[in-house]
Amino acid sequence: MSILLKLPQTKRSLVNIIRCSSNISSSDTPKFDMENPFEKEKQKCILCQTGVQVDYKNTKLLSQFQSSYTGRIYGRHITRLCKQQQEIVEREIGKAQNAGLMSSYNKDPAFLGDPKLYDVDNPIRPHRF
Amino acid sequence: MITYELCVLFRMMPKAELVTCLKRTANAIYNKGGILRKLENLGTKDTPYKISSHGLVHRQASYFVYEMNVPPANLDDLSEELARDVDIVRKTIFRKNLDNEVEDCTLHEELQPAPYRKDVKDLIAKARKLDKPKFVYGNNLKYYPSRNNYYWIY
Ligand SMILES: [Zn+2]
Repeated sequence: MSILLKLPQTKRSLVNIIRCSSNISSSDTPKFDMENPFEKEKQKCILCQTGVQVDYKNTKLLSQFQSSYTGRIYGRHITRLCKQQQEIVEREIGKAQNAGLMSSYNKDPAFLGDPKLYDVDNPIRPHRF
Repeated sequence: MITYELCVLFRMMPKAELVTCLKRTANAIYNKGGILRKLENLGTKDTPYKISSHGLVHRQASYFVYEMNVPPANLDDLSEELARDVDIVRKTIFRKNLDNEVEDCTLHEELQPAPYRKDVKDLIAKARKLDKPKFVYGNNLKYYPSRNNYYWIY
């Protein structure tokens, strides 16, 4: 019974000893106030990188974000654009389609050979198609 | 002062006729108290889809863009006047885009795993608000907080 009562006291003293020893600072202890060396470089989307202004008259640029099979606008997880740029692209494509500059059910065959800005088969998130 | 862009598709016609049409459209803008800033020719080409207007189906059109300043109150009148023009296949008025709409690219934050993303955090916080209030034990009440029994516990 007496041993059981004493046990927490010995434990506390042990903890104190460990705490005190860890508080001792010497010149050998490494400094941990440096920045995280493993932090990744900040990524930018292709439109922000190049600073290209998206406009509804520039249908060659806009059709690069369109499916060549259905004319559907690819989502953000495929085009790898930031939220704001994706919204702008979708808005401008809608404007171009309304104005009669761009088709909505297919891509202009003249633009089919344009370079691809992203890999359609490798989206950031999986999608249901 | 807001700058507008008027995108007009004229039907296929000889050059001399097209010139009078362009002048007529410009005069319509002037008559509504507007000024012209720029007139762009996007060329004569096939339309992406067939467009029917004024009883005719058009598959080709001449594209022009007028950049203009018009009092916003007169915009509807201008649009209505151009809609009555037989030579115009389609017309749309847009506000001219500002140059610097995107301040900062947020792609890096969006590529983070879901629990680190701000919109996901906001969603979770929103969902937690809908949780039913739960009885919390360990409050400092001196009575049993049931509806029927008000007896003290010591
Ligand atoms: Zn961006």
